[in-house]
Amino acid sequence: MFENLNYAIVQLVHNFGAAAVVGVAIFALYPAAQPVPIQRRFAWLVGIAWAAQALSGMGFGIVSYYYYEKLPDLHGIAFAALLIKITCAVGSLGIAVMYLRRAAGWTVKQRRAAWKLLIALGVTALTAAAFLRWFA
Amino acid sequence: MRISYVLAASLVLGCYVPVSFAADASDASVVISSPPEGAKISPKGDVNVDYEVSLGKKGDHTHLYLDSNEAVTLRGLKGSHSLGTLSPGQHEICIKVVNKAHTPIGAQKCINVSVESTT
Repeated sequence: MFENLNYAIVQLVHNFGAAAVVGVAIFALYPAAQPVPIQRRFAWLVGIAWAAQALSGMGFGIVSYYYYEKLPDLHGIAFAALLIKITCAVGSLGIAVMYLRRAAGWTVKQRRAAWKLLIALGVTALTAAAFLRWFA
Repeated sequence: MRISYVLAASLVLGCYVPVSFAADASDASVVISSPPEGAKISPKGDVNVDYEVSLGKKGDHTHLYLDSNEAVTLRGLKGSHSLGTLSPGQHEICIKVVNKAHTPIGAQKCINVSVESTT
């Protein structure tokens, strides 16, 4: 029971993180571009959501190792999907941090490009997650 | 904030459950009925693995491995999977029961087969 509870808590964080990394990035631009101060808050949210994704992703491995002394067994397509997700997380965290530190000096076009890149990385990670789930 | 405290407490409490109790996989099992252990196989013939699995309480599906590399995910509890033709030499075929996180829970069956040389 506690094993399932632990997996469920990790999954809960991972699911809400997944919704946030894509949803918040989309709402920064669509249906209308948000004012700069709001976009800055959204950048915080996206950064925190990606950090939650990374930590909860590690959480699956930690729970597995605690109960079975083994990590999830991923090969082939599933392992490639995991690497894609990790790359998206690292890239998105980097963009979010850069946005928070330097976006004040960016043009509107550069800000839009950053948000579009965050949307693309979020969508890519969610797509990879589906392959990770069913090809492992 | 209170919800996050409850979730964190559950995670911590859950990790204090003795591993031997939580990770009991004794009710899961794997049987490979064909090929038999030590079988000698023709290099021209396909290798079909006949299996029967009981997932138990913790298992969700199984992974089939050829020489430690995962060949395929098996969703059925009973059936046959073709590995095609194998290269000459010794090969290990394993089926492991895994949970929803794709972690092997302990129940597994491994067999060794020998594919004869073509010469």
